[in-house]
Amino acid sequence: MGDLQDIRILLVDDEENLVEYIAKRLLKKGFTVKATFSGEQALEAAERDHYDVAVVDLKMPGMDGVETQRKLREAQPFLQCIVLTGHGSIESALESGQEDAFQYLLKPVDYDALVASIKDAFDKKQKLQGAKFQEEVQRIQASGMGAHGMRKALADLRKIYGVG
Amino acid sequence: MGLDSSLSAELRRVTRELASYKIELHQTRSYLQCILQNTSDLIFATDAEGTLVSLSKGGEKVLGYSWIEAVGRPVKDFAEDPELFEPAMASCLKDGCALALDVPFRHKEGKTVYCNASLMDLINREGQRVGTVGICQDITRWKRLQEDLVQVDRLAEIGRIAAGVAHEINNPVAVIREAAAWAGEVVADAKGLGADDRQELEEVMERISAQTERCGNITHKLLGFARESRPSRSEVDIHGLLKETIAFLAPQLKHTTIKIELAFAEGPLLVNSDPRLLEQVFVNLIGNAIHALLEKGEDDKQIELGTVRKDSEVEISVEDNAGGIPQEHQGKIFELFYTTKPPGKGTGLGLPISQNVVRSLGGEITFDSKVGVGTTFKVRIPVS
Repeated sequence: MGDLQDIRILLVDDEENLVEYIAKRLLKKGFTVKATFSGEQALEAAERDHYDVAVVDLKMPGMDGVETQRKLREAQPFLQCIVLTGHGSIESALESGQEDAFQYLLKPVDYDALVASIKDAFDKKQKLQGAKFQEEVQRIQASGMGAHGMRKALADLRKIYGVG
Repeated sequence: MGLDSSLSAELRRVTRELASYKIELHQTRSYLQCILQNTSDLIFATDAEGTLVSLSKGGEKVLGYSWIEAVGRPVKDFAEDPELFEPAMASCLKDGCALALDVPFRHKEGKTVYCNASLMDLINREGQRVGTVGICQDITRWKRLQEDLVQVDRLAEIGRIAAGVAHEINNPVAVIREAAAWAGEVVADAKGLGADDRQELEEVMERISAQTERCGNITHKLLGFARESRPSRSEVDIHGLLKETIAFLAPQLKHTTIKIELAFAEGPLLVNSDPRLLEQVFVNLIGNAIHALLEKGEDDKQIELGTVRKDSEVEISVEDNAGGIPQEHQGKIFELFYTTKPPGKGTGLGLPISQNVVRSLGGEITFDSKVGVGTTFKVRIPVS
């Protein structure tokens, strides 16, 4: 794993006080953190920048965690989502399970568990993204395009996947 | 001579007729006597003035007075409120009968006995009203159950509110915890703090953390009570579990003609799931089937338990040949507190909880029901 600074975290929770303190602690630890207080804000942030891991509260007014997670992944397919669920939201947690959350953490979330989960989620994202990148590279190589075309296609890929 | 013989023939005929009337009268009287002696209802008759002239055995029990004590007194004296009993009698007087009235009577010992009463005029051959007959059913127990049910409903509501409050408190508690942890980090990095101050602050932060932890434990316990937090997982043989469930329900099946047929897939049917929760669901579904079958009159009562192994899931079916679920109830059976069972028998919790449980195990409950044919519930759960 690289530097913690390379791990870009998007926090989404309407409980602003909580987000503030979690963001401060994560920043101090060295992560790159963006705090947002609604699903809408999170999507705006995701349109501007790439993120590796999103920590999404399930229960939010307006766009809820399930929808936020779905739209975030539409915007950034490799983004890993950690979902924070309160007690008694098993049904919605399962519903959001269909959206392939990386992990569910029960609120109030244990800070150390959250940090560990973020690191694991980042590893998974790197692996998925790397594998997909390799696949694309092979596809381009197999396509038999000329050296010039290939160089351009690979450069595009690097831009899309942010690796290489 | 001719006159004599025709007279004696007439006499014989009248005597025969009289004898047959006597037999009929005797039969009618013993029929009536049999009813009055054996009914558990309060059946009474009064004369035209409303004075009690007859009281059933059940009536003695309902009111606590013996026949001898009661007869000869105005019937309204036995009502809890004689003033309120008069209008009922009056409306009976007006229309000839008054049906399904709620009449509270007073037991000899002073307690109130709630009755569902029907009053009818007693008419003689000349068409004159000679009294009133009353048939009253003691519904005190039923009333109590109804009150209990309201109480249960209220308790359930309190439970829901408590769970909601606990859930809401979780958030501020989490904020306090994170704020204290952050303050702890700030203190740790702070320069220019005296050793005593630093120690004091660290202790305070620790205390805040410990106390918020305590709050968290309380809300978690309450919420865990309101709902088991998460299912446990272990390897379960569905066939074994179903057999255990039948054994568990054996006392309910005793003295019934219900037959249980097993249509199991071959071998053990292993899944990785929560046996305790699954058993709860099976007990509920089979219990419902038993209840439905007991309401069915005829003798051919059968429950078939079937299992099917599919790719990544198993399907368990509970099929009964009871009366089926009427179309208008089918949409509501998974609704909380919806029940068609009499008060005190059903809570309206069984199926909604079962559905929640099965969903929490990643499966689904479906059902198919035809009135007059029977009902099949199907539970699909993932193998792991």
